[in-house]
Parts: sequence; C-alpha cells; structure tokens
Amino acid sequence: MKILAIDTSCDETSAALTDGTKILSNIIWSQSSAHAKFGGVMPSLAQRMHEERIDWVIDRAIKNSKCTVGDLDAIAVTTGPGLSIALGVGIDRAKKLAIKHNKKLIAINHLEGHMLSCLAGPNSESLELKINNLQFPALGLVVSGGNTLLVKINKIGSYEILAQTTDDALGEALDKGARMLGLGYPGGAVLEKVARGGDIKTYTLPVPIAGQEKRQMFTYSGLKTAFSRLVKSEEPLTKVKIQNLAACFQDVAFTHLVRVLRYYIIHNSSFVIHNLLVGGGVSANIEIRKRLRKLCSQYSINVLFPKSKKLYGDNAAMIGIAAYFKAQRNEYINPNLIDRKPGAKIFD
Amino acid sequence: MQIVKCNKDSIEIADGILKSGGLIIYPTETLYGVGVDATNEEAVKKLTVYKNRPLGKPYSIAVRDIKMAEEYGNINQTAKNLFLEFLPGPLTVIVRGKHKLARGVESENGKVGIRLPDYEFVQKLVGKFGKPITATSANASYKKRPYQVSDILDNLSQKQKDLIDLVVDAGKLPTRDPSTVIDTTLDEPMTLRQGEIKLSDKNEVLSRSEENTQNIAKEIWQHFESYLGKRSIVFALQGEMGTGKTQFTKGLARAMGITELVTSPTFAIENEYETGGNKLYHFDAWRLENSEELNALGFQKLVLQKSVISVEWAEKVADVIRGFDDEAIIIWIKIKFGVSESDRIISWGNL
Repeated sequence: MKILAIDTSCDETSAALTDGTKILSNIIWSQSSAHAKFGGVMPSLAQRMHEERIDWVIDRAIKNSKCTVGDLDAIAVTTGPGLSIALGVGIDRAKKLAIKHNKKLIAINHLEGHMLSCLAGPNSESLELKINNLQFPALGLVVSGGNTLLVKINKIGSYEILAQTTDDALGEALDKGARMLGLGYPGGAVLEKVARGGDIKTYTLPVPIAGQEKRQMFTYSGLKTAFSRLVKSEEPLTKVKIQNLAACFQDVAFTHLVRVLRYYIIHNSSFVIHNLLVGGGVSANIEIRKRLRKLCSQYSINVLFPKSKKLYGDNAAMIGIAAYFKAQRNEYINPNLIDRKPGAKIFD
Repeated sequence: MQIVKCNKDSIEIADGILKSGGLIIYPTETLYGVGVDATNEEAVKKLTVYKNRPLGKPYSIAVRDIKMAEEYGNINQTAKNLFLEFLPGPLTVIVRGKHKLARGVESENGKVGIRLPDYEFVQKLVGKFGKPITATSANASYKKRPYQVSDILDNLSQKQKDLIDLVVDAGKLPTRDPSTVIDTTLDEPMTLRQGEIKLSDKNEVLSRSEENTQNIAKEIWQHFESYLGKRSIVFALQGEMGTGKTQFTKGLARAMGITELVTSPTFAIENEYETGGNKLYHFDAWRLENSEELNALGFQKLVLQKSVISVEWAEKVADVIRGFDDEAIIIWIKIKFGVSESDRIISWGNL
C-alpha cells in the first residue's frame, strides 16, 4: 500500500512515501537554520516557509520514491498536535491533492506517528515479521520537545494514557537546562554531549515526584527551578562546572522518566508487558536509550527504537506508517471535513 | 438545616447551635462565612468535611475585640497597629497562636488568622458566644464566591448540606472582595491575599508553593471575572524561568472551570483549552523572534472576540499587548523569586 504522507506540525516541512512499513523516501526541510539564534521562531515566517517549500518537498518525495502520483493508494497528513498555522499548510495541500487526484485521505495524530516510528524501515519483510511478533498490550513512550507521554497500547490504534506531561516536556526541560548553562536554545543535543564529560555525583538535584510515580504524570518544572538556583549559586561557570551541571541535570531528568516507567511496568496486574515502543526527538539521546534498554532487560521487555536518525525528530515517514495501519482499519476522512487539531491527544 | 432571617432573634438561635457544636452559615461584610466553635475539635472536624479540604489547611477565626484576640494569639506591635488602623474591617491578621484553639485551626507552624468583621451580627454573636468562631468562606474549595445563600447551596452535595445546622440569611450581600490577609509573624508584614485594604499602593502577595500560586491566580481571576464576555481579558505574565508562569495559568484555568491539563506552551507556542464552557488561550512568547509575531498567531482576532488570554514572557511582546489597551482588560502580572526556595512574590496591576 503506497501512501504519500505530509507533516508540517512545527518547524519541519516534511513529505514521505511509504509502502506498508517500508520507507521509499523521507524528505525533511528544516527551518531551524532559518530562524535566528537561540531557537527563536517567527510563526508568520514559519507559515510562509512551509508554504514556499511544501510543493518542492512533496515533489521530491515522490521523485525519490520512483513512484508516480497515480501509484498512490492514499494521502496522509498530520492534523495535530502542533502549531495551528503551520498545520494548516500541510492539511490544505493534502486536501487539494486528494481531491485533484481522487485519492483517499487519512488524518494522523503526530504523537501516534512518533510512537509507531520504530516500526518503519527500509526493509519491509523483516519488519512485517517484527510487527507480527509484537504482543499487545504493549507500552508506548514518546519523548520530544512538546511531549512526554506514556501509553498502554491495547492494539495499534487503541491507546490509553498512563502518564503525561503536566508542565514542561522532557525535551523542553533539556533545552531550557542547556539555555541556563549558556549552551543556546534548543540545546538538548549539545547538553547531551557536554554531559558526557561530567560527573553525575557532583551535585544533588531533587528527583521529581520521587515515591509518587503513580500520579500519572511527568513533571519537570520543579527540577527546572532547582537547577536554575543551582546554576546561579555556581556562577561564574567554568567548563568543568558546566559539564558536571549538565550531567547532573540530565541524570535526574532521565531518572524521573525511568522511575515512572518502572512503576507502570511493575504495577499492573492486568497484563504482562513484552514490548516497549519508543519515539520522539529525545530518544536520539544515547544515554536515555542506554537506560531504557537496561530497564527493559530487567523485566524481559523488548524495546524498539526508530531505525534511523531521520526518524527520531519530526518527519513524514512516521506519519505514513501510522496511516498504513489506519488504512487497514478503513479509517479515512472526507477531505471537506478534515481540520487542524492543535491540541490533539493521542487518542483523538 | 434551619434557615432564619438575620435579626436579633437569630443571634440567640446561632449561639445555641454553636454551643452544641453545630455548624452555621452567616453573613459578614465580605462574603457568607461558615462558623463553628473554634475551640471544639469535633466541630472543626465537621467543618473540614464540609469544606472538602485536605487536613492541614488552617482556618481564620472571628473575635469580638482585641482582648479576645490576645487570649488566643500573640499580638505583636505590627499586629496591634493593624488592629488599631483597620479593624473592624475586611482584614485577616496572621499572628502566632497560643495553641488554645482546636486542632486544625492554627496552621502546622502554629500561626492563626484573626478577623474582626465589620458586621454587627457577627460582632454580637461572638460577643454572646464568648469564644472565637471560625471565619472561612462558606463555599467549598474552588467553587463560586458566596454572596447569597443560593451561591452556597447550589454548589454543595447533599452530604455537605446535611452538615449545616443553621443558615442566617441576610439576602444578597454587596459584591466585595474577600478580606486582605496579612502575615505579621515575618520580619516585615507580608500580604498573602489582596482585598480592599492595602499595605502599600501596590498589589503584591507572597506565594509559598505552586498550589499557592494557583490559588492567587484564582483570586485575581475572580477580581476580573465580571468582564467575561464584555471585554477581552489578557493576563500578561512576566517572570524568570521557573517562577511559575505556567502554574499561574493552571490556577486561572481551574478557576474558569477548565478541566483539561494545562502544560507549558514553550514548544507549541500556543495552547487552547475549552472545557467547562469557557475558553482560554495560552501563549508563550519566549521563542518569538519579534513582537509582531503575536498577531501572526491571531492574537488580535482573539482580543476582538473578547477572549480570555494568558501570555507567558509577556515582556517580549509588551508593545503589541499594550496596543490593545482599549479593547482588552490587561492585567500585568510579575512573579519574582522570594527568600526561601519555594517563595514567590506576585504583583499585579492594570498598568
């Protein structure tokens, strides 16, 4: 099943062609270089740039896949969550293409895309095998700039939220931590590098809601505040201090994540978990992957991460994968009824 | 439950009920309050069930005069000055307690809030009763401020109603703010809630926790709520990273009846919430490259639609927000770090 997928939920303009869970092409035009330093954004510029790039990105995705529009079985597009005026650009294009070429249209939740991105790959047969071996219910984890989300996957397409962001998402917390250390914004990736040279035992920071992991939440606001005080008390900052501060901050941020996850692995009498699906920009962090692997090996859980770097951040291939499963369930949408859902939850 | 008109006879009845450990709803110069014998542990327990409050939240007491206040609290010079200048009146003075009240009335660290309402019925009742009674608002947590008996009864469960022994009905009270709350046990007097009485010409309160910040947001919302649907209401939030701008917005949303989870909009730049009949638009200007971008996100349209809007990092887009001075009620909120780690100083104004 060949699907053209489009994602314009935030800073990236992306289009992809997928065939089942196989990626034929995945074009991502990032705006981050266009926006000024420290991660500032100009929504009006973002919208204009999405509009300027979208046709080129779609053409390129089709060309690279060596398919034609005629080969397509459906068109899929992200409807949310995301920045409303950015989402509108992708939705508008998808709708027009669907009507013009008489293709079926599929509305996709960006978070579901991230969660299923680990099922995508260049080689379709081995993946099909892997998907057939998945046992449900499974756990799904999305760690990104906008979300920290843990769900119970009853089956693909049916999700229950176990724990979610209540203030700052993990990626946002890491970005803000980096900013406090003068590493720029968004600096989560820089923070990871700097943290490698630091010692996590140098400082003590409070692990958020330690002992109260059952509260169905991820929270980073308290840690952020404590860290901001710590950084101020350590000024002037030296290279060594920055490394140690980065290491400690990242350590506690991940400890909280793992503790919440562990709680939901242990405390559920209703089912045994065999699989954990992980997605989102922060899952590119090597340290977090190490910790999740360690946690999962303790409970004999098979953990799946996206196969390539391009699949971690925002991209349209993951939208194509999610759309493939929706198409199998015959969940199409009337092009005249499709609309943006900036605040969508994963089950919307 | 007995309902009586507020007059001379009702003092007799209320006195009898308080003496037997009962719970009464009574009018004051600010709101309807709920009173029990503040020295009777069983009666205070009943009050806690009625208010549906977690244990550990203290209750203010109403006294007859400064002499009665001195029996139950250490009235230092600051407190004495406040008594002389403002009382009776809409002011709660927080002092160190003498641990003579029922458990749960004083705070965990032994402080007690003292009220001397500027309302004849209460003064006469407490005088006759001879002991302090609790002086907390008659609504359950996060419910409508009680200016008339129906505001209270319409928002209570049957179980809560069953706990009321007497309602003293004085009709509809004038819409006044709850009392100003001033803590006199610190180095300098600190306003914890701002009502009509002000220590300085600034609106400034101290928050001790995230929950506290949410509550202060609720108080401020209730102050401006009457503009809902008539003008756009914009909360322009300023404060360093980690001061609690999102916490403030959480309290705002909760006070508006919104039940959705309010999270930081830094990444998404704009969030919208619309449960419970009201809509709240939540912006974050931190990542915006220039202030005009706020209008690109539809800010102007929202203001013209008389929306309720909260903007974090408002200083970055101050000029655009100020441009809507005529169309919107703009409340500028500043949050600063306080002395101890969880303290925040929250100030606000229309300027």
